[in-house]
Amino acid sequence: MISCTDFIPAYSELFKFLEAQGGVEAVEDFWNYLSDRFLGNLRRLVERHGLRGCWLYWSRTLNEEAADFTMTLDEESQEFTIDMHCCPSMGRLLQLDHLEPYRDYCRHCDVLYRRVLEPLGYRCEVDLSRCHEARCRLVVTPKE
Amino acid sequence: MSKEVMRRQASDNRYLHKDFHGALSVGLEYLRTHYGDDAVRQYLWQFARAYFTPLSEAIRRRGLVALAEHFDSLYEAEGHPARIELTDDELTVQLEACPAVTHMRRRGYPVSPLFVETTRTVNAAICEDTPFVAELLDYDTQTGRSCQRFRRRQP
Repeated sequence: MISCTDFIPAYSELFKFLEAQGGVEAVEDFWNYLSDRFLGNLRRLVERHGLRGCWLYWSRTLNEEAADFTMTLDEESQEFTIDMHCCPSMGRLLQLDHLEPYRDYCRHCDVLYRRVLEPLGYRCEVDLSRCHEARCRLVVTPKE
Repeated sequence: MSKEVMRRQASDNRYLHKDFHGALSVGLEYLRTHYGDDAVRQYLWQFARAYFTPLSEAIRRRGLVALAEHFDSLYEAEGHPARIELTDDELTVQLEACPAVTHMRRRGYPVSPLFVETTRTVNAAICEDTPFVAELLDYDTQTGRSCQRFRRRQP
């Protein structure tokens, strides 16, 4: 069994394996597949609670992942934000001396969450410009 | 209308997100259905050879005690302590149920029919180039109950 605490390196190595099999298209196809099959809880929460569904979803996952973050739900300005000060996934990969992270590792978040949120009427912006430092920012707002 | 802010540091929580087991199972299913069963085993083998390099080195240096410590901490962290028996030449790890399979069944995540390979193939890869060989003596696909044995290779 692979411990859930060892999942992130397994995930990163899966992206490398897929790219070797079928190029970047294979990696992106997997991200779409994973989003459709694994993020049903986020989808249901946002369908039921709107923007607050994002708050409910990430309240659980980010705490279980022991992330270093600030999460904000502003219902008046209709904006949900995660400021990731140290991503638990990329942070772990960067700590490993004997394994290189998949070169485009962080983009999976953008693909997975955008694919759930945009069809529900939300804009999902992910700033990955500092992801090499395990820092990023996600902003979700209604489209109109 | 309210504004809510949650600020957390890594040290505020314990790192244990068991839903990752479900994500891994989805990954194995993607590989199985798009590239075939062998691709699942090949991926797990490559991952384990790359990621568990320090553990394989420790087994070569310290023997099966290094592997026993690995399993002890792995299953303890997942909340399913294993029955571990260790001699100089043999290590047996018995589980009443696999923590990953238990979590996925509880949460309703599909369990890949090749999930067993996260034990069989990964153990074999960890033991490659060590004096020991891995065997999976028993595995129940419904619960993940298993008996894993590691013994000294015959010359």
